[in-house]
Amino acid sequence: MHPDLDQQRSLARRLRELPDEAAQPYGWREFQRRSGARRRAGQGLAGGRALATASVLALGIIAVWTRLDGWSPQSARLTREALPPLAGRTAAMEHWLASLPSEPAVVHVGTRAAVTGLEDRIAQVDDLLSAERLDEAHPARLLALQQARTRLVGALVQVRYAETLADESR
Amino acid sequence: MTRLVEITVSHAVLARACAGDEQAQGAIYAAVAPATLTLIRRFVGQRAVSEDLFQDTMMSFYQRLPQFRGEAPLGAWLRQIAISRCLMYLRSPWKRLCLSLDLADLRLGAAGTALVTQDYRGESIDLERALATLAPTARAVVWMYEVEGYTHQEIARAFGRSVSFSKSQLARAHLRLRAWFEPQGNRPSCTLI
Repeated sequence: MHPDLDQQRSLARRLRELPDEAAQPYGWREFQRRSGARRRAGQGLAGGRALATASVLALGIIAVWTRLDGWSPQSARLTREALPPLAGRTAAMEHWLASLPSEPAVVHVGTRAAVTGLEDRIAQVDDLLSAERLDEAHPARLLALQQARTRLVGALVQVRYAETLADESR
Repeated sequence: MTRLVEITVSHAVLARACAGDEQAQGAIYAAVAPATLTLIRRFVGQRAVSEDLFQDTMMSFYQRLPQFRGEAPLGAWLRQIAISRCLMYLRSPWKRLCLSLDLADLRLGAAGTALVTQDYRGESIDLERALATLAPTARAVVWMYEVEGYTHQEIARAFGRSVSFSKSQLARAHLRLRAWFEPQGNRPSCTLI
């Protein structure tokens, strides 16, 4: 047999022999409960796509702020190794943000306020990070701050992304 | 690994489920849910997203069940729904943005999306890690062609792309996956195709 064909068959066999997903899906009752919840959510959001987007954004921003405010050094259990990937993820998101026009064509008042608020919070966290680095703070505290920054930048990405979608759909 | 298309359900149970019998629907769920979640997880990687797509898939499955004509095995029909949901997810603009951020993570050495569990043995772990280094589209093409038995024409149609797209994705993925089974020194670094 041709070696390439042999290798291909071997690869297919190996893929088929991979074990099943270890974590089993939830049971039938839980599936029914989630289905009911989704249907109710779907009916509730029938008011329109704009309302849905606004709700999701508002919930996301509230969640981010709540998490940030609820942060404490004792709750941070991550290690110094997690810092570079986290910083890299934030950098990638910021790179994408930088590629957007500074003033989108369509800006809703509510969204604008959210963007400004998020940018302010990011600036505050940046200040805190700088101060903590100067004071040679504990890595766990630095990591927690970096995580908070990542969440804020993530929320900002969502808001700006929603703006670009709204702009394209005009 | 249990493949979705290999799962069979008796005609009696199927008929009762189509008529709205909850007990029969529950029995079908127990039979197909693990393989469905495994298939979706292979396509999208992340557990939380997989569960969301799994819920969507199963809801769609039960909504459409009364229309099932039995022309194909039930598992194949459900597989079609699941794959269609996964591809919709992979094609969405928001997903593409998140994906580019995830790839940045991967390049920086963060954990990939490998499904390595306690059931794995050496070779499976290698293969799982190799799969995790593929871009999601390439991984989906490999899985559809090698495991699910789709043809290049069918894959191209599912992605809305040309046949040569499917062939080139598969060829490049093969090169990368094979490299993992060569002697250690020839293994590729964890870059993405």
